[in-house]
Amino acid sequence: MVKNITIFTTKTCAYCPMVKKYLAAKGFTYDEINLDDEPHRRQEALAISGAMTVPVTVVTRQDESQHIVVGYNLAKLAPAIA
Amino acid sequence: MSDTKNKHDVIMVGAGPAALSAAIYTTREDIDTLLLEKGVPGGLAAVTDMVDNYPGFPDGIEGLTLAANLQKQAERFGAVIDFAEVSSLKDEGEWKKLETTSGDMYAKVVLIATGSDYKKLGVPGEAKYYARGVHYCATCDGAFYRDKRLVVVGGGNSAVQEAMFLTRFATHIDLMVRSKMRASEVLQQELQKFVDDGKITVHLATTTDEIVGDEAKVLKVVGTDTKAGKQVEIETDGVFVFVGLKPNNEFLNGQIDSDEIGLLKTDENLMSNIPGVFVAGDIRSGATMQVASAVGEGATAALKIREYLEGHHDIQLEA
Repeated sequence: MVKNITIFTTKTCAYCPMVKKYLAAKGFTYDEINLDDEPHRRQEALAISGAMTVPVTVVTRQDESQHIVVGYNLAKLAPAIA
Repeated sequence: MSDTKNKHDVIMVGAGPAALSAAIYTTREDIDTLLLEKGVPGGLAAVTDMVDNYPGFPDGIEGLTLAANLQKQAERFGAVIDFAEVSSLKDEGEWKKLETTSGDMYAKVVLIATGSDYKKLGVPGEAKYYARGVHYCATCDGAFYRDKRLVVVGGGNSAVQEAMFLTRFATHIDLMVRSKMRASEVLQQELQKFVDDGKITVHLATTTDEIVGDEAKVLKVVGTDTKAGKQVEIETDGVFVFVGLKPNNEFLNGQIDSDEIGLLKTDENLMSNIPGVFVAGDIRSGATMQVASAVGEGATAALKIREYLEGHHDIQLEA
C-alpha cells in the first residue's frame, strides 16, 4: 500500500505533467516540490535520485520502503504504486 | 484475430505534432483513431522551451503549451492516446498488426509519426555522466544549473534556442560548434545579444572530444580548435548536447524503405512501400524537421488516409 507520493518537478519540464496525470488517473494524490519555486531543494532531489533531472517521483509505502522513479518511466512507476 | 477493442481504422504510432494534427482530421471525420505514444505527447516540441516560428503565434509559443493544445484539440474530436511502445509492425494484408506493450493491436491503416530523438555525441565521458552532468533536455534539467557554468554542444536551431534558454539559470554558457553555425538567421541575431552581454561565448570550428570529471561530477570539456589545430579545455559544471536527430525507426526492423540516415521513404501520397502504411513528420525522408511542416504533413497524411480507406472497397469506414 502506498503511504505517500512526492514529485520533484519544474515549470518547464514536459514529462512532469505526464507523471502527475498518470498518478491522478490512478487515483493517487501527491505532494509536489517545484524546484523553480524551491531551488534550495535541488540537492535533495539529486541526493534521492542520483540524477540532475526531473521528474523524480518518490513513492513511500506503508512499510516505509521507498521507490524512486526518475523521469516519466511507466515501467517503473506502475509497479511502484501497485 | 484480437477482439474488436484492439481493432481500429487507423493507428498512429507516435503522438507528436504530425500525428496529433492527422488525428484532428481523421477523428473529425469519425474515423476511429488510436495514437500510441511511448513518451510525451507533443514529442520533441513538448520539451522545447519556445517555438518561435510556428505560424499564428506572433510572440512564439511554449513548446509544452503547443503540445498540450494539439493534444486537447485531437481529444476533443475523439482521438484516444494510449501510452504504449510499439515493438513490431506486421503487414497481414487488410489488417496491420502492431505488437505493443499494451498487447497486440490491429489497424486498417497505420501512420508512422515516431519522429526523432536527439543524437548522442559518442565521445568518452558522455555515457558515464548521463543525467549527472550530461543532458539532452534543457527544459527538464536546466534548473539544476542555477549559477553554474555550462557547455552547450551544437550549432543548429535547437542548440542555439536551448543555449539561450539555459541563460535563465547558468552564469555563462560556452557554445561549442563543430564547424559553422547552421541555426536560422533570426536565431543567430538573437544569440548575438547574449554574446554581446557576455552570457554566451561561441566557439566555432571546435569539436567536442571528451567530457572529463571526477567520481561525482563533470569538470571540463576537452575539444579541438580545428582551425588553429590545438586542443581546448573548457571548465564547466554540465554539458547539454543538441547535435542533430536520430530517427525512431528501430521497431520497423528495416521493413520500410529508408534513406541513408534511416528516414522512411514515401510516395507523393505519403504512403510507404507497404500499402496502408503512411509516414509523416520528422521520421519521413525529406522532412524539414519543423513543427509547422510536421503539422502540415499530418493533415496531408490524414486526407490521403481517408482516400485510401474509401478507395479500398474491402475496407469500409465504420462511420
